[in-house]
Amino acid sequence: MALIELEHIVKTYDLGLSKVPALRDIHLQIDRGEFVAIVGQSGSGKSTLMNIIGCLDVPTAGRYRLSGRDVSELSDDELADVRNLEIGFVFQSFQLMPRASALENVELPLIYRGVSKKERRARAQGALDLVGLADRMTHKPAELSGGQRQRVAIARALVTQPSLLLADEPTGNLDSKTGEEIVGLFHDLHGRKNTIVLVTHEPKLAARCPRAVRLVDGLVIADGPGVKVAMGNAEALGAEAVAQLLAAQAATVQR
Amino acid sequence: MTESALSIPLAMKPRDLGFFRKVLRFFAELREAIVQAAISIASHKLRAALTITGISIGIMTVITIFMVESGMQASFARQLNSLGPNTLYVHKWKWGVGGNDWWKYKNRPVVTQLDWRALQKNATWPVAIAPSTNTTAVVGIPGQGDKDLKSVNVVGTTEAFLDAGSWQLKRGRFISDLDHELGTDACVIGADLEDAFFKNGDPLGQALKVGPMARCTVVGTLMRKGNAFGQSQDLRLVMPLSSFLRSFGSKRGLVIAVVAPAGKVMETEDEIISVLRNSRRLGPEQEDTFSVNRQDKILQGFNQMMMATNVVGILVGIITAIVAGIGIMNILLVSVKERTREIGIRRALGARRMTILMQFLCEAIMVAAVGGALGIALGAGGAALIDILSPMPAAIDPRVVVGGVVGSAVLGAIFGLWPALTAAFLHPIEALRYE
Repeated sequence: MALIELEHIVKTYDLGLSKVPALRDIHLQIDRGEFVAIVGQSGSGKSTLMNIIGCLDVPTAGRYRLSGRDVSELSDDELADVRNLEIGFVFQSFQLMPRASALENVELPLIYRGVSKKERRARAQGALDLVGLADRMTHKPAELSGGQRQRVAIARALVTQPSLLLADEPTGNLDSKTGEEIVGLFHDLHGRKNTIVLVTHEPKLAARCPRAVRLVDGLVIADGPGVKVAMGNAEALGAEAVAQLLAAQAATVQR
Repeated sequence: MTESALSIPLAMKPRDLGFFRKVLRFFAELREAIVQAAISIASHKLRAALTITGISIGIMTVITIFMVESGMQASFARQLNSLGPNTLYVHKWKWGVGGNDWWKYKNRPVVTQLDWRALQKNATWPVAIAPSTNTTAVVGIPGQGDKDLKSVNVVGTTEAFLDAGSWQLKRGRFISDLDHELGTDACVIGADLEDAFFKNGDPLGQALKVGPMARCTVVGTLMRKGNAFGQSQDLRLVMPLSSFLRSFGSKRGLVIAVVAPAGKVMETEDEIISVLRNSRRLGPEQEDTFSVNRQDKILQGFNQMMMATNVVGILVGIITAIVAGIGIMNILLVSVKERTREIGIRRALGARRMTILMQFLCEAIMVAAVGGALGIALGAGGAALIDILSPMPAAIDPRVVVGGVVGSAVLGAIFGLWPALTAAFLHPIEALRYE
């Protein structure tokens, strides 16, 4: 069953004088249990797509169904609940609360779900244990290494048992060795039946994912096995998508 | 790696939280908001302390004003009660009125024994009629000049005075009508005089000198009454009216206290007016040349005066509130700015706008309430100091205390609302990107 269904998703940023299209016409379907990389150069619209998938933003047009529910026209509060219940975020810059301990950081999303203090603690401990930080629970983010911070962030994303783990350049701020460990952790989580969407600009990361989607100028131009998409293999590029892209570019030039 | 706790499903369907969960969530969020507010204040001690000081000084000022005011009111009411609710006072002056009519009252004839006798003869309602007059004199024991008491309130009156006022006899007897008729040297003394002159002995039968001329013999003593407006009510000596007038001058005006039967105060007042107009031979077109005063009339005058003080207090309060409110707004705007990224993180993790709003409102209310409580403590201290150091009484009114804390919390909420709203309406993505 499809977890994410994106149909004709358009996102246009209104900058007053001009309208900038970030996403032109995105069709995408991601099933439960998949591990999908979204790759693209900066400006390709992959961050916008991630924000929409993560319900941090709503599309200008088109329909987005998450777990079968149309979320493209939900209110702000409803989106907040969806984020809390369905999505676990992992950011490039970790985005941990600087004044809170690792444990308190992981407990935070459970507060917004009305989980009792005792249960919050137990679940947060379980999540930290899962990412291998059982001995760092009382440390503040400043007392942890970059890799450890990202593990805390992953634990925080997992603790709510989300339908979807959404990671935005999770290795961007880490050295290659630590980055490798984090990627390994994601693959491990995928093995435990988590659905993961990984946004990255690194072909090497995408190549290791079972499936990758390449974005160029707000359009999906390739969708297929990670290795092929990452290599830019022509077979992976859908002919229809390329035609669409060319037409869109032509239209922009004419305008 | 184990995932024992994680593998237990969270106890809800992702679609919607039930009512019970929402209530739980509210309290979890409220608790988190309070903790975060406390941490925020604690991690910016100087900034918070300055704002709190500002608020507390403001609250202190207002509280002190209102405490002194309510103290005066309470003390005044107590004194008025001692006049008795059913007692009317016939006097040349109209009580509780100052200002423009001064000459009118000044030029009136004094109330005399003729008026008293007219009332005694013709008025039917009164339960008791007691004329009195008073002056201030030095009182001492003959031959022991070093023990003299200055500023003793010396009252000349008759037996009926006990019924009109709230004096109570401690021992001996009061001035009798016979004392007045004969002009005897009997006198009754207040508790201060008894303590000063006869600490260890029986005052009855002892001689006192009153003023430069008069001598008197103590026949009774009065119960202690305490202070009013910082003055002792027990520094007092009562003597027969006729003896008083002989010693201190017979042209003195009297105050005639008339006790009306309960519920018949109006009728009694009307009767007094008609009897006195008759005896003073006033024509129908002439105004009264005397005033019939009542306790509640004085209270009216006093309340008018208090209103002016109230207006000042309220004005000071409003200005203080605005100044303190701006301080709260400022500290909160800085706090929102500093924590923009944190707001973004919380929103991404599922905090709703209401949650963010609550968090910052908690901080505003906490700062304001702490300032308010401190201000009340200082204000209560100030009022106590005024009570001790000056004749002005000041009382701690519990309504003021509760009102002060609640009021400053409300103030915090009002002035914190706008910064909290800007925080709540930040776009999550913008907030996450904020450096």
